[in-house]
Order: sequence, then C-alpha cells, then structure tokens
Amino acid sequence: MKKLNFSYHMQLTFEYPVRDHHFTLRCFPPNDARQQILTESIEIYPKQYSSTQTDSFGNRCIYGTASWEHNYFAADVNGQAVIDKDKNITEDAYKTGLFRYYTELTRPGEGIMGFYNKIKRSGHPLETAKHFMDKLFENFVYEQGATNISTTAEEAFLLGKGVCQDYAHILISLCRLEKLPCRYVAGMMTGEGATHAWAEVFDNGVWHPLDPTHNRLVDDTYIKISSGRDAKDCTINQGVFIGGGKQKQEVKVTVEEIL
Amino acid sequence: MAADGLYKYSEQINELLARYGVKFGIYKNNVFKEQLFPFDTIPRIIEKAEFDCLERGLKQRVTALNEFIKDIYSDKKIIRDGVVPEEFVYSGSGYLVQCEGVCPPKGVYTHISGIDLVQGEDKNWYILEDNLRIPSGASYPMIARDICRRSSPATFEKYHIEDNRNYAKLLRRTMDYVNTGGHTVILSPGRYNAAYFEHSYLAEQTGAHLVTGSELTVENDRLYFIDYSGKKEQVGAVYRRISDEYLDPMNFNKESVIGIPHIYDIYRKGNVALINAPGNGVADDKGIYYFVPKMVKYYLNEEPILQNAPTYLPYYEKDMKYVLDNIDTLVLKDVAEAGGYGVVFGSKMTKTEKEEFIALLKREPRRFIAQEVIDFLDIDIYDDGEIVPRKADLRAFVLMADEPLVWKSGLTRFSRDPDSFIVNSSQGGGFKDTWVLS
Repeated sequence: MKKLNFSYHMQLTFEYPVRDHHFTLRCFPPNDARQQILTESIEIYPKQYSSTQTDSFGNRCIYGTASWEHNYFAADVNGQAVIDKDKNITEDAYKTGLFRYYTELTRPGEGIMGFYNKIKRSGHPLETAKHFMDKLFENFVYEQGATNISTTAEEAFLLGKGVCQDYAHILISLCRLEKLPCRYVAGMMTGEGATHAWAEVFDNGVWHPLDPTHNRLVDDTYIKISSGRDAKDCTINQGVFIGGGKQKQEVKVTVEEIL
Repeated sequence: MAADGLYKYSEQINELLARYGVKFGIYKNNVFKEQLFPFDTIPRIIEKAEFDCLERGLKQRVTALNEFIKDIYSDKKIIRDGVVPEEFVYSGSGYLVQCEGVCPPKGVYTHISGIDLVQGEDKNWYILEDNLRIPSGASYPMIARDICRRSSPATFEKYHIEDNRNYAKLLRRTMDYVNTGGHTVILSPGRYNAAYFEHSYLAEQTGAHLVTGSELTVENDRLYFIDYSGKKEQVGAVYRRISDEYLDPMNFNKESVIGIPHIYDIYRKGNVALINAPGNGVADDKGIYYFVPKMVKYYLNEEPILQNAPTYLPYYEKDMKYVLDNIDTLVLKDVAEAGGYGVVFGSKMTKTEKEEFIALLKREPRRFIAQEVIDFLDIDIYDDGEIVPRKADLRAFVLMADEPLVWKSGLTRFSRDPDSFIVNSSQGGGFKDTWVLS
C-alpha cells in the first residue's frame, strides 16, 4: 500500500481565439477497490458552465460549454490517493463480454493474427495474457513520435514501435483474439512526464492490470484515471469549437510517493 | 369491392398527395432527387377479428423487445442465462456502448416501432422485421385517408372502418408520457432528408415544434429551444428523426453538425426524453430477429402470438448445414444492411455468385441470416386501369405510452414490378391505405 500525491496539468493553446467550445474532460481518478482518493482539487479554465457525470464505463467526467472567446483551455487536477495493489477489482463474468469484441483501434489485421498464431498456447487466461505481454515486449520497441493517438493496434504492430497506448492496444487485440475480456486503462505512474496507459485482463472474477510497456504487473505506483474498450473511450479532453487554427497541447503529470 | 368509389378519383388523389408534398427523397449516384410515392386506391382490408389477433401479438412482441433492450443495457440476464449469445449483441451494429447503464425516462426504449409483416398464401401473418430506430411511414396512410375521405365521402359511409387519423393523438400521448417537463419538439435533419414530409406533417398534426439541431441548446443541464426572438424555452421531449450517431458530437460521431452537443449527457441524467431511445437498434438487428420469439418466452413467460418467417442462423452449425444444402430455396440477408439492400435469393444467383457467397458465408457466418421464401399472398393493385396482383407487406405501428398502443391502420407497401418481392419505398414501390374494419 502506498500513498501518492498526484498532479495533472493540461493546457490547450489556440493560434486564434475559439468560441462555442463544448468540452468533456475525463481526467479525474476514480475510487475503486484498489485506489482511494483522499483529497482532490479541480480547476478548469474557462469555466463558464460545467457539470459532472459518470459515463458508461464508470469514468468521472466534467463537461460544459465556454461560449465566449478564449485563447487557451486548461485543466488542473491535484490530489492524494492511497493505492493497494493487493485489493481486487471484481465483476460478474457475464457482464464483461463487451470487452471481448474488437473496436476500430483494436481490430487485428494479418500482422497481429500472424503473431498470435506464432505465440499462442494453452493455459489459464491470466498466464496467457502475461505470456502475450512477454512476447510483445520482446518484439516491440518503445519510441515516441512513430505513432499518434489514432494509430490502430495493427498499424503500430506493423511499424514495430510505438508508445504505451500502442503496447496496450496490441495486448488488448491479442487477448481478444483469445476471447479474453480485456480493457484499456489510462492513468499515471510515479515520476514526471505524460499520462500512461496499460490494460486489464479479466480472469476468474477479477480484473488484473498489466503494464505491457514495462512488461510487469501494475503495482502501487500507478493511479488509474479511466478505463474503456480502447484509448478512444478514455479520451482525456474532447471538444468541439469554432475557430482556433493550429493547436498546441501540453500535458504534465507528476506523481510522488508520500513517505 | 370497396375500391369502386375511390378508383375514379385516383388521379385526383395522387395529384393532391403530390401537392401536399408526399414525396420520398432519395440519393442516387450522389444526386438528391425527390420522387413521388405512388398511391393505389384499392385498400388493404383487414377484418376486425384478424386485426385483434395481430394487435395482441404486436403488443406482446414490442413489450418483449423493450424488456430486452432494458436488460441488455443493465443486468444482461438474457446473456447470463444463455438465451441470446453475447456475440449477437456486442458485434451487432445497433449496440451502443454509450447506452450502458443509462435508463431512459419511464424505462421506455421503443416509443415508436414499425413492425413489418407479410401475409402468406396460407393466410398466416409472419413478422419480416422489427424497425425500432426511426421507423417512418405513418404519415402516408394518414394523409391518404384524409384525402380519400374528401374525394369520396360515400365510400366511408358505406363501410365501417376504424378512423386512422388518430395517429397524431396516439403519438402525442406517447411523447407526453415520457416528457420530463417542457415543450415537445420533432428534430429533423432538414428538408433533404428522405422523410422530411413526414417530419413536418407529424409536427403539424401533433402540435409539436419542428426544429433542426441549431435551434436547440444545452444549458445548465437542461435542453432549450431558442425561438425566433432569441428567447429560450425548456424542452422535455425530443422526437428525433436523426440517427443515434449524429445526435450528439460529444458522445457519438464527433463530425456531426446536425446534432446538439451534450444532449446525450443530460439525457443520461434523465433531464430530457429522446424518442426513440438511443441504442434501441440492438434489438432490431437482423441477427437478433431470430431470437425475438425466445425473448417473448423469456421475459413474459408467454407463447409468441405472432410468428417469424422460418429463419436459420448459419452461426449455428446445424443451421449452416441446412443453409448450404437448401440454398436455392432460401433468401439470404446481410444483417448489417437495411432498406431492401443486402438481400439475395439463392435461386437467382449464378454459379460463380453462389460460390463467392458461400465462401463469404463460411468466413463470416454471423453476418447472414437465411429465411424460407414465403409465398406472399398477392394483393390487387390498379396498373394502367387493369387490376393486377402484386407482392405487398404491411408496416404496423406500435406506440409505447403507459401501455402499448397499436394503430388500427398501417402502411401497406407494394412492389410495382411483378417479379419483385422487394417493396421498400427507397426502391421505387408504391403504397396503399390499410383499412381495419370495426
């Protein structure tokens, strides 16, 4: 069990002012069996009208509309969480079926299917998923800039390199080929940098989090922000607006253990 | 018999229908064209006792469909109990993950259903498909009846026919039942939509405002209609005639410019009714159709009153074998298509087409259903002054208010081509009034 301080900062800067900006933010760590949020403060700019809700995956959202012109859009979330990796996130098996089916981002093509056929073997679901993670780690290279947020699992696999989102998507695609329920998790881990992503595999009534980017089980140093079928379901900042021109997004995440 | 009085007004009635704008817009090769929807004056006549039976069966079917949708987006008991394989739910085009855990006002998902039936040579009625998303067509027999009554009042004195002009009242009752407080509006994508006539006619008949997306806005978790002076009035029910994916760019297709940002967020909170409920297409997928009689038994513990056309699911090995052995006598339907597209008759395929189709079927068994070709009971139409038999179906309308209501009429569509079984308006068919005798 660890106690962590976290801070998430996002700023979207527009070349020209925007108006009628509708947004939905998904950057608020939830309470679940493994993590408890002790304190939390949220600031959003511009805050003209906003409201909260929980989406179909249980993710907390803040949505709203900023109708007057603004040059940037920012969200700051700071808080403290207690993470206990020994607690289990449980669910009824028959309700997890929807995580067994492909989405646009996780549909395997010939590349992933060929890889799957080469590495598949029989075993318990969790062991199989860990085996896939091992093999993926051996055959995939971490490299920033090779892929982007809309790169599919298959495209990333064929490139042979990518970032945490791509690792997670490929692992999900492999698990779904095996008919294992598997979901995408967006989150943060200790240190400074960007957000992180991993996957959870369902086995025997429990969701097991695996971090394919580091080829290890998720432990007390990770904070979950949201989960869904793929990265699209976990979009942190979604918006439509008028104007804007070029946009620049900065994200800064800091997570430190409180000793 | 009954057409005698009406036939001589045929030309006049069709002229009036055209003048009122009874048209069907279609896109062909990317060009928008409005075509007339030809009306045949010979009505389809259904006896009271026969319709009473249809009515009971339709109420039962739509009640079960509504229960199914509610279950799928919450407890999923029917999956847990192995009655419907999850694959048919989650890989169907109608399943929307955004609807998980969302309960619409009063638990109604199927406010307006268009159930397509055909009558066989054996006089039995068979369900061909359930249309739950945005079924259109009620306005055509409504206005045709109105014009027929004016053209030949004597005909309607002579026969005891249920008045079908009450559809607007039934619809209003359905919309009012789920209204969360405020105005009722009909949301149309605009005049280039195939069913724009219907949108405007139903608005006029029910007293609802006809609006487009740009006239609605979400503020403080409520939906408002912005009137011509800029004043905002709260809206409690939206009979939306735009499909789920275009409803809200923040929750569905983000490219949509005809939707209303955040309308789905406030619907999720119960602050507005969307008619029909988003995601209800999970129950009208052609693959799910096979399971509807099973749903009736599962949710209502009753025997289904209305039968499906005999259907096979190649997903099941036994059915696959039957389909391969009997392909020449079957009609094959792609579950992802609608509007009469993606339908092929085994008997009409060439040898190569059949081989290609079988290969595809084996690769994607879930994508197809196969049905016995029903010998439709032909009904008479006037074609250039001659009475000729043609294939026809019946779209019955079921509305779900505090109880299911069946409209005592319906849209009878027929194929003008003597060799065709496909009656869809988008493929050039015509329509008739449907008289239910009282």
